[in-house]
Amino acid sequence: MSHIHIPDGVLPLWLVAAGWVVTLALLWYASRRARAADVRRKVPLLGVVAALVLVSMSTEIVPIAYHVNLTVVAGVLLGPWLGAIAAFIVVVMLALLGHGGVTVIGLNALMIGIEMALGWGLFRLFVRVLGRPRVRWAAALSTVLTLAVTTTLLVGLVALGGGGAATGRETGALDPNSLTFANPFGAGVISVNTLRGAEPGSAEPVAALSVERFALVVYTLGPLGWLLEALVSAAVLGYVARVRPQLVFGGALAAVPRGPTGDAGVS
Amino acid sequence: MDVRAIDLSATSGHSRLHGASAAAKLAAFGLVLAAAVLQQNLLVVAACGLLLAALAVGSRLPLRAVFGLAAYPGVFAAVFALAAAPDLLSGAMFAVRAVTAALGAIILVFVTPYPQIFAPLQRVLPEVVGDAMLMTYRSLFLLADKFEHLRLAIRLRSGLSRGHPVRAARASASALGSLVLYAVDLAQREYDVLRIRGYEGGLRVSSPAAASRVFDAGLLLAAGSVFALAVVFRLAGAALTPVSWLPAAFAALVLLVTLAWRLVPR
Repeated sequence: MSHIHIPDGVLPLWLVAAGWVVTLALLWYASRRARAADVRRKVPLLGVVAALVLVSMSTEIVPIAYHVNLTVVAGVLLGPWLGAIAAFIVVVMLALLGHGGVTVIGLNALMIGIEMALGWGLFRLFVRVLGRPRVRWAAALSTVLTLAVTTTLLVGLVALGGGGAATGRETGALDPNSLTFANPFGAGVISVNTLRGAEPGSAEPVAALSVERFALVVYTLGPLGWLLEALVSAAVLGYVARVRPQLVFGGALAAVPRGPTGDAGVS
Repeated sequence: MDVRAIDLSATSGHSRLHGASAAAKLAAFGLVLAAAVLQQNLLVVAACGLLLAALAVGSRLPLRAVFGLAAYPGVFAAVFALAAAPDLLSGAMFAVRAVTAALGAIILVFVTPYPQIFAPLQRVLPEVVGDAMLMTYRSLFLLADKFEHLRLAIRLRSGLSRGHPVRAARASASALGSLVLYAVDLAQREYDVLRIRGYEGGLRVSSPAAASRVFDAGLLLAAGSVFALAVVFRLAGAALTPVSWLPAAFAALVLLVTLAWRLVPR
């Protein structure tokens, strides 16, 4: 499913806070692992791959309002730990553009991080099973499975957070049944009831999110997105595997044979 | 999203809000976001949104870009509301909250350069993450430019292969593949530059001083007032519900006055 498009203030505080705690712990551990080896190579790679995901997310397939994510491609290039850091950076930048809530950055980063890690693991598994010549199939299958799993995680999140204070709301002078505003001056300007709204008394009883309806919508529309993402990931990874196979099969941090520069290679 | 337009506005704008310190703007954004999130009264959340709209108008930000970006999460919130909201009013609340929170974030990036936003985050996040954020910002422009060129090439090629969607799709995939290869090469070049400069981790961003401390204080006071109002309405619950139209009416009035002021030629 990639990043959650659930707005701020919908999920309950405990779930949002838990997302932040887990993400920050993961980020701390991933950073420690990243620092263990040549950090100078990892920092620019992280930045570039995060930017690549951001640029791809800005490409919308207009008729169905779907945008490419390239999260599995990024996972294959970065691996699970660097992927977790890249996921956090992508989510922070998206949130600053209003794309995904600010308070759900933790949950969003976790979701994309899982997507990158799972995509990386499944891709390697399928390459081993199917063989390198079928890299496109490996990419497509790993993308579909990854997105199916993360979509299920999203439905699980909504089920966990549905109802309670998350959906509590008051209407002010708005009538929730007719969605019309009560005229505050309806009883005359000088009146003890001037400021009485349409809803004297307590707030509306809290209603729960409809998880079944949400799951129905997500599982109906989702497969189309999974299929498109799988086709794009398969095409991109297939192309890169043909041109520069070590990137796909060894990751972007695999040893890159450097060509001679300047006069150094001239015999 | 046009990151170049956002960056241009953030770095070359001249409003009082542009001149405020990044720390004050981040704190003010946090307060308004907290107000919108904890509030359960639709009219009070709408008031927050209207005040933010007035701020965007008053700061002479490019309104089409700002409101276009702010509307985007509104669309997703509407889809989410259709899929999961228990009733129409909760759905309306999701959408208004989403647009209000997004408007706050978007105003922040339109008046503050990204590195200034990242600078406070760098202090609390692991070094690798902070540095990678700055590298992302730098790479984003390079990749966006490259991608624009590739899209143009794809459009031209698709024009040549009209009636051959499979061929056009292959060209698109090859272009995205090329972008991946370009990105990896770009990372290699940046690594070379960092190695030459002796980078060992810890890129630092200096924060410019605020143009006016008084304005910073005013900004924080205004944001704090919005937050306090939200807290009062939340704690009072139904008791204040009948007067919840007042903040919305006040915010609408502020927006109208700001719009009129903006229309006056300078």
